[in-house]
Amino acid sequence: MIPAQFDYVVPATLAEAVSLLSQHQDEAKILAGGHSLIPAMKLRLAQPQLLIDIGRIKDLSYIREEGSEIRIGAMTTHYQIESNARLKQICPMLPACAAQIGDVQVRNRGTIGGSLAHADPAADWPAAIIALNAEMVVVNGKGQRVIKADDFFVDMLTTALDANEILSEIRIPAPAGNFGQSYLKVPQPASGFAVVGVAVHLTRDAAGACEAASVAVTGVTSKAYRASAVEAALKGKALDDATIRDAASHATDGVDANGDIYASADYRRHLASVYTRRAIEAAAK
Amino acid sequence: MKIEGTHELYARRQRVYEVLTDPAVLKRCIPGCESLEKTGENSYRATLKAGVGTIKGIFTGSVELEDLRPPAHYRMTVSGKGQPGFLKGSGDIDLDERDGLTVVSYTGDVQIGGTIANVGQRMIQGAVKMMASQFFTAIEAEAKVEADETPPKHGFFRTALRWLSGKLRRMFRGKRSNPS
Ligand SMILES: Cc1cc2nc3c(=O)[nH]c(=O)nc-3n(C[C@H](O)[C@H](O)[C@H](O)COP(=O)(O)OP(=O)(O)OC[C@H]3O[C@@H](n4cnc5c(N)ncnc54)[C@H](O)[C@@H]3O)c2cc1C
Repeated sequence: MIPAQFDYVVPATLAEAVSLLSQHQDEAKILAGGHSLIPAMKLRLAQPQLLIDIGRIKDLSYIREEGSEIRIGAMTTHYQIESNARLKQICPMLPACAAQIGDVQVRNRGTIGGSLAHADPAADWPAAIIALNAEMVVVNGKGQRVIKADDFFVDMLTTALDANEILSEIRIPAPAGNFGQSYLKVPQPASGFAVVGVAVHLTRDAAGACEAASVAVTGVTSKAYRASAVEAALKGKALDDATIRDAASHATDGVDANGDIYASADYRRHLASVYTRRAIEAAAK
Repeated sequence: MKIEGTHELYARRQRVYEVLTDPAVLKRCIPGCESLEKTGENSYRATLKAGVGTIKGIFTGSVELEDLRPPAHYRMTVSGKGQPGFLKGSGDIDLDERDGLTVVSYTGDVQIGGTIANVGQRMIQGAVKMMASQFFTAIEAEAKVEADETPPKHGFFRTALRWLSGKLRRMFRGKRSNPS
């Protein structure tokens, strides 16, 4: 449980961090909360030669409202999101998701940016971020670019981030209208990671019917995904039992589920539809 | 653990079989393959730098091909170990011709142990699928080139592009009468 040797640098600015990363690319890793990277290094499943700690960069940890957006700095910890009173009012899915990650220690150190950049197939944030139609602001040597959540997760542990890019901010359209949200998961009993996790954001029209729904699922396959068939089955419909049940039955349509010793692929598919139903019910309350 | 999958390759079956059993091609196509040496008739020694994302490890091991029935079938046995753990397994590879495509299906059993199995259990199946699709995308590109031509180049971007264009082609295939 001792990592291989590595160098450690603590840049003071994002620009400095980006330039260090561009110089070292494949040998270097950004260190955020360290709660995914350090365990992997201790097991020698990852052996970066250089750690670039972005924890001392000012102004990478914040929760702000700007215009019609909620902006969260990449270094914001799960706990800061969980405990933010304003978010509980304006976008309750964010604190609800944060509160269900790991344990207190993990939430105190782990960051939303680290979780998204790591793209663990069972991480919670990716589902929430897709369901909220968020955008990732990414900084590189040439400036910055914005990547939509739907395009950000490429495959297992693989995102649209280039090797010389740093995720700096997550932008979430502030929920408007008559909306409801929920994030529900089945935690793996040992790690807390999602065996299945479902994020739902829906808006309702004057009559109470579903105007639009945004549903994303994590834990089932190699990356979190948007459950488009569920969304389509809810759109424009009254949110009654039969509609919700039918919509939830499409939770894994077209998805190649993965299994492990803890949960087979079939069991995951089953859980996904049960939890999709419950998450829609919770958001529709 | 059982692994299985099918991949559709736009190439002739005979040619797919040739490249799948050609060590020089395998060395180019196996994700992270650093060396592949022949140690006997149909047996090889390989070094792989395998992994996904942040998680990587170096494995060395042996590969044996048996029950070779060109161009339809062979059996492959692999065994390897490395710092992150060990892996042992064997599987059957079948090649079918369908509508001008070659459908490669594999089924097998692998045992994985050590660190990777203890902490990475939940990711093994995903990692296997990801590496298999990278491998077959590279194999498809090789098989499209005839034996006496220069082999194609592989690299993350080329492979990713090929994978994407393959996906698109497959999506629209229903509308095309004559796949090439
Ligand atoms: C016991 C335990 C239980 C856990 N349970 C859960 C759980 O239930 N649900 C869950 O979702 N997660 C869980 N986690 C993971 C936890 O949330 C991690 O903290 C998180 O996934 C990674 O965030 P981090 O800030 O620790 O990133 P780090 O570990 O520092 O980094 C992770 C990876 O992302 C890269 N990276 C980090 N920040 C950036 C950035 N801004 N730009 C570019 N690249 C970056 C790093 O280089 C590294 O490759 C658990 C972890 C532990 C140890």
